[in-house]
Amino acid sequence: MHRKLILLVALVIALSLPMVASAHGVKIDYKMDLAIEIRASYDTGSPMAGAQVVVYVPGDPSTPWLTGVCDEEGRFSFEPDASRPGTWDVQVRLAGHGAMIHIPIGDQLAATGTTGFSTLQIVLMGACVVWGFVGTALFFLRRRS
Amino acid sequence: MHIPDGILPAAVNAAGYAAAAATTWHSLHQIERKQNPQEGIPKASLLTAAFFVASWIHIPIPPTSVHLVLNGLMGAVLGYYAFPAILVGLFFQAVMFQHGGLTTLGINAIVMGVPALLSHHIFRLRRVTGIKNRAWLAGLAFVSGAVAVGLSALGSLALIITTIPGGLSVEAEQASAYALAVAHLPLMVIEGAFTALVALFLQRVRPELLEG
Repeated sequence: MHRKLILLVALVIALSLPMVASAHGVKIDYKMDLAIEIRASYDTGSPMAGAQVVVYVPGDPSTPWLTGVCDEEGRFSFEPDASRPGTWDVQVRLAGHGAMIHIPIGDQLAATGTTGFSTLQIVLMGACVVWGFVGTALFFLRRRS
Repeated sequence: MHIPDGILPAAVNAAGYAAAAATTWHSLHQIERKQNPQEGIPKASLLTAAFFVASWIHIPIPPTSVHLVLNGLMGAVLGYYAFPAILVGLFFQAVMFQHGGLTTLGINAIVMGVPALLSHHIFRLRRVTGIKNRAWLAGLAFVSGAVAVGLSALGSLALIITTIPGGLSVEAEQASAYALAVAHLPLMVIEGAFTALVALFLQRVRPELLEG
């Protein structure tokens, strides 16, 4: 009788062990939400605060998918629909100034991207063009004299 | 002022190109009537370089900032050379720095070049009236410089607020465009003063350069 009781208690404990263990089980699901943050600034470096943003999905450049407004720092974040891979177009516009950036999403994912040039490139290109104008002036001055 | 690609509808861009072509033809025709059409090229070329660089000189006028345009100075000093010079300058600004755009090159040339031609005629008033004192010269140069940039700002404002595409908040875009246009009032004074200074300087050192 005594032995039977011990066996019964042991059985109950043994059976309840998995239940105790499963109460501590952890389950993790994951789902990746890709968020894109853009930052729009003028070529002087000052942010385009309050600029309007329009996002277009790949293959439909005429219907806005999302519209919004940049914050004080010229930043705007959105989560593209990962089921629509391709090149997403984001247009930023403020008082007739604006630009469009093309963001690849899907197989050719790029972590960062930019439009525009570095300061050194700009200075070099500007100097080349100015030299072209000065050279033109010198050429016609020489012909005249 | 420099309207970039993707802001204006295609029909406006096409009309801009057509108007710019007609104005270029008219300007070249006027230049051809001169005794020596090549004589003005060095001057025009150097001022095109100045115009090309001037858009990098930003003047902060809160809440925004504006940049020099110099189209009034070009018109006053260059006469009919100003329009092709501005066209070339805008082309290089668009290609090199995406300042403006290739699709909007025609409309930008009209917005900045036609006021320059008007400045040329304002500045020529000094010969019509025959008054030859320095204050009159400086005054006309000031008006030429100020009026040109003012008209350009008005022209681009009109284009921007009438062509806001669907999907954007029209009020917000209009409000920011008006604010930018108002910021061009101080710029008119700055460009007028600059044009007057250049005119006075040229009259002292090379008066023949102002006879174009």
